[in-house]
Amino acid sequence: MVTKQDILKIAELAKLYVGPEELDGLTDELNKMIRFADEVATASAGETSFNTVNGLENVFREDAPRPCSGREEILKNAGSTEDGFFLVRRRR
Amino acid sequence: METHGTVARLHGMLESRVISCTELTKAYLDAVGRDNAALNAYVKATPEAALETARRVDEKIAAGQPLAPLEGIPMTLKDNISTKGIETTCCSRMLRGYVPIYDATVWKVLKGQNAVLLGKTNMDEFAMGSTCENSCFGGAGNPRDPGRVAGGSSGGVAAAVAGNLAAYGLGSDTGGSIREPASFCGAVGFKPTYGAVSRYGLVAFASSFDQIGPIAQSVEDAALVYDAVARRDPMDPTSSGSRGAVSPALGKNVRGLKIGVPKEYFDGIRSDVAQALQKAAGLWRSLGAEFVELSMPSVRLGLPIYYILACAEASSNLGRYDGIRYGYCTPHYADRDEMVCRTRSEGFGPEVKRRILLGTYVLSAGYYDAYYKKAQNLRGAVVRAFDRAFGECDLMMTPTVPVTAFKKGRKTTDPVENYQTDICTVPVNIAGLPAVSLPCGAGRDGMPVGMQLIGPRFSETALLNAAFRYEQAAGEAPYRVDGMGVRL
Repeated sequence: MVTKQDILKIAELAKLYVGPEELDGLTDELNKMIRFADEVATASAGETSFNTVNGLENVFREDAPRPCSGREEILKNAGSTEDGFFLVRRRR
Repeated sequence: METHGTVARLHGMLESRVISCTELTKAYLDAVGRDNAALNAYVKATPEAALETARRVDEKIAAGQPLAPLEGIPMTLKDNISTKGIETTCCSRMLRGYVPIYDATVWKVLKGQNAVLLGKTNMDEFAMGSTCENSCFGGAGNPRDPGRVAGGSSGGVAAAVAGNLAAYGLGSDTGGSIREPASFCGAVGFKPTYGAVSRYGLVAFASSFDQIGPIAQSVEDAALVYDAVARRDPMDPTSSGSRGAVSPALGKNVRGLKIGVPKEYFDGIRSDVAQALQKAAGLWRSLGAEFVELSMPSVRLGLPIYYILACAEASSNLGRYDGIRYGYCTPHYADRDEMVCRTRSEGFGPEVKRRILLGTYVLSAGYYDAYYKKAQNLRGAVVRAFDRAFGECDLMMTPTVPVTAFKKGRKTTDPVENYQTDICTVPVNIAGLPAVSLPCGAGRDGMPVGMQLIGPRFSETALLNAAFRYEQAAGEAPYRVDGMGVRL
């Protein structure tokens, strides 16, 4: 059972803002989801390991420079930029 | 007048010069202009680029050059597949106006073959949903009854293909998002083995489950598209490519094929859906296939395992949306932290927020072992249960969804109720298996029923061959709605 306080704490971790008007509904919904997840928490695991679904192992590539997108392109989708940087404005 | 546009038929029409690629493309664009209002399948049309590609294909035809199988064929992409220079929104307010600076590998490959992209199609926001109604553009309608949902999350692709507004499309499948809408709309939806197709450029939802695959009007078309896009990609280290071309191998008989029927998949499915599957079983028997009854108790935990792990991965993957580098940014804030929080709260829709919150919860200190780690271990148990089951059968047959497409606007205050739609599809993603949904008759409401065939990892050829044989015997393909979409 999660409380409204728990929801606010999780929301803070997830960088989400939960308004007072959403809090009741969201707490209720999350409790339903967590009760559902409890089927897993209370199941007996028996066999206990998992790595990957397709048995692939990690491979390393050469650490060599490769062409990449230019600065101008990378900045194209930013809301605000200045002198070739992402700009995050300070507000008072 | 024929109304269907399978890849195979259109390819023949182009090569024999019955129609030029420009005429073909214009016919599809006109159909989209006329019928999309009823379906809301497309969220963005790309007529200029489509006609430009068509012109190049016509030049090739005029020069007498042969065409690749998908060359000049009008198609679509789900709006979470990155397209350089073309807005890619994931149907989220968060990404409206976002224009990728690179192509997803699948699109790069298809573009290289002069595939004609008609536009980007509708989906549940960030692929989270089973109805397409979690889209910031509103949901897509089902071509067989626009008052019903197209399914999701790749609802726009399925609606476009079944509604003759594209020959085929690529969607993505994290927990059933290709197969479920294909089942609801009466099309073929194929989710390949995890890693067979590169995920590079697919906007990430749950990376250990996500897989790109085709929705098409026939199994043959699905195989052609799969063959074109399945390859190992240095840009996706989890990609492993295909184990050989599927389409040239289609047509082998299925005598002696052992089809497993896991009884857990039939618990609680609607009686008319069960009946359609029983009828399909009769057809399989007439083709010489045999049935093996199976029990796989661990798949009963499929849904909670899936939702814990997928939400955990989503909470991490969606951490990147901070309003700074791309996407929506709130105009109302005092400091940087508030900017990020408000951006995310205003940019994400309610289902996405719920999943991020659940994912954050199961990963948080004190709960990680009980939920996330436990679900990972149980994932291993499901993987092994499938491996054991495939010792007794060659492939499995199940319903794709326990019901048929329901009416739009089904109201519920319980998110878990909506997740039940995915009960037959998620185990496949948990185990990284290939599975195809193909139409097998109709329910009592007249809406299509989907049969799901599941194969062992990398059994694409045997799986699609079996589906192809069934489709030939049933004689119903190509699957599409008469009187809608393009007329050729």
